[in-house]
Amino acid sequence: MSRHFPALLFLIPLFAAISMPVVCLKHRGWSRPIALGALSAMVGVSILNLSNIIENGEIRYAFSGWASPIGIEWVADVLASLILVALSLLGLLALIFAGPTAPKDLGGRIVHFYTLILLLISSLTGIVFAGDLFNLFVFLEVAALASYALVGVSGGKALFAAFRYLILGTLGASLYLLGVSYFYAASGTLNMADIAERLPHLLTSKAVVGGLLFMFIGLGIKMALVPFHAWLPDAYSYAPESVSPILASLVTKVALLGWVRIIYWVIGAKVIMNEIPILLLVGVFGSLAAVIGAVLALTQTNLKRMFAYGGISHIGIILIGISQGNATGFVGGVFYLLNDAVMQAALFFLAGMAICHYGVRTVEDFGRVGRQAPWLTGSLVIISLGMIGLPPTGGFFGKWYIILGALEAKNYLAVGAILLSTLLTLAYFVKLFDRIFRDNSSSSDALNHEPPLQFKWCLGLTSAAIMLLGLFSDPIVSLLLTQALPPGL
Amino acid sequence: MIQPHDSIIVKSLGRFLIPVIQIFGLYVLFFGQYGPGGGFVGGVILGTSIILAVLTFGHNASRSQIAKKLLHGDGVGMLIYAGVGGLCMIGGGEFLNYAHLEIPGLEVASRRSLGIVLTQIGVALDVAVTAISIVFSLSAEEIIEDSLNG
Repeated sequence: MSRHFPALLFLIPLFAAISMPVVCLKHRGWSRPIALGALSAMVGVSILNLSNIIENGEIRYAFSGWASPIGIEWVADVLASLILVALSLLGLLALIFAGPTAPKDLGGRIVHFYTLILLLISSLTGIVFAGDLFNLFVFLEVAALASYALVGVSGGKALFAAFRYLILGTLGASLYLLGVSYFYAASGTLNMADIAERLPHLLTSKAVVGGLLFMFIGLGIKMALVPFHAWLPDAYSYAPESVSPILASLVTKVALLGWVRIIYWVIGAKVIMNEIPILLLVGVFGSLAAVIGAVLALTQTNLKRMFAYGGISHIGIILIGISQGNATGFVGGVFYLLNDAVMQAALFFLAGMAICHYGVRTVEDFGRVGRQAPWLTGSLVIISLGMIGLPPTGGFFGKWYIILGALEAKNYLAVGAILLSTLLTLAYFVKLFDRIFRDNSSSSDALNHEPPLQFKWCLGLTSAAIMLLGLFSDPIVSLLLTQALPPGL
Repeated sequence: MIQPHDSIIVKSLGRFLIPVIQIFGLYVLFFGQYGPGGGFVGGVILGTSIILAVLTFGHNASRSQIAKKLLHGDGVGMLIYAGVGGLCMIGGGEFLNYAHLEIPGLEVASRRSLGIVLTQIGVALDVAVTAISIVFSLSAEEIIEDSLNG
């Protein structure tokens, strides 16, 4: 049974999503319990799967029984399974949060809303597990189509943002597909392990280098790397409050994970360090993103836009960690990716609660309610500790290992970029706290009643997770160091 | 709103052509095991026949009511596909490994054949419904709204 877990993890949300339009034809209200049930099952299976894979080693699941170069395979190693536990837990929390914040005027389309969320989660699972380049593209597209629809679901200005996201996202997917076709032309196969085997003989081919660059630009658009980030702030700030946590915490991070798979598992650590200097490019773009994203966040007045730019700068920090070409940097990058997924979810839960419960959208207004809203301010303190990277939180340990990796690689520019972006992150959170603790105006009416229980759960659990990831960083990092390193690193 | 076409030629030809197209679609669908064809192409042809019916007889005609009902079937096709795959998993094989479709009295070869036919029927249903719903949503938004809210 345990060898079916990777396939089950993908099939549970998919099955729930496709059965929903039929099952909920008469009973619209069933859509939410079905979605919650499916994701709870997924959380259970993902934890079982992780423990099984730590114990028994990676699983390569061949769909329909066709062996790997011919058939489609799922690669479930420790890295993928660990990310999947985070993905399913955050998906479940985001779904709990989506209940009280779901757009009110959806009517019968509420069924489609939950179908889209489940499809998004199942396709993200597909990206994490995909064992060949083309399936990565397919699931990238399914995830993107679901996100376009979810961004635009409540109409109005969101439609414009969704359309812009659609145009840029499609461009990214097309460039990625172009890169894949170059690889296919050069190597004659799409399976990642198969390409990795054939690639050492093909390094003189310009198609491989060109294809790699196309894939980098394509996935760069998907993960909102700085020169290509223009779609993200609009899409995430105009998206309904119920869907922005899931988009911000998962979609860009999973695209980044796809890129990690390609450079370290397909191209191989030896090649990117000695023959094709792609790591240098990734590192420079990462440093730029880390600093520019934080500067842009500092200039924002809208709460959600500020957090969206914060996410862009953190993508840069993860990329710096990945691009150091040593085990310390790699592990730091992956650990920071996990932390950033949790922190982004927490930030957008916070923004959603501020908007839906207190009617606050800007930094200025946030200061007015901040003092009277203990849940909001309390969790903001913990999240900001994590975002800045102060010791008891997971953000600190992630940045610590990334900086150690950069020092090991004698990459002082990257260290400087991380420190600068940390200072700028501190600056925009100080801006927020300055509003809260200096404002003495009286409270508004909305403050008198308690926020709904779901809001408290989501914020409390993600804030606790930020702390717990810091306190238990040692077992996670040693697990990554011993079992999740790419070959040759 | 799609009005019925007022030309007698279009209507009579439609009455004659629609069943022919449907039979051809079914042929393509089931022939997919042995040669070119299969669920996707067969589904497109079946969907086209219903689109033709809606265009000639209008979307309030009795035939078009079937099409509107079919709009809810977009999940059914996928369910058949995933269901067959799931049965293979229950039988002890990988997802969609038809050899493990546990049906007593069938050899492995005929199990594979049956499995492919069933999944292709699911694919055909899904593609047909998608084609119809694209035409409906391009022509009249309120049809889908009605069918969802009603």
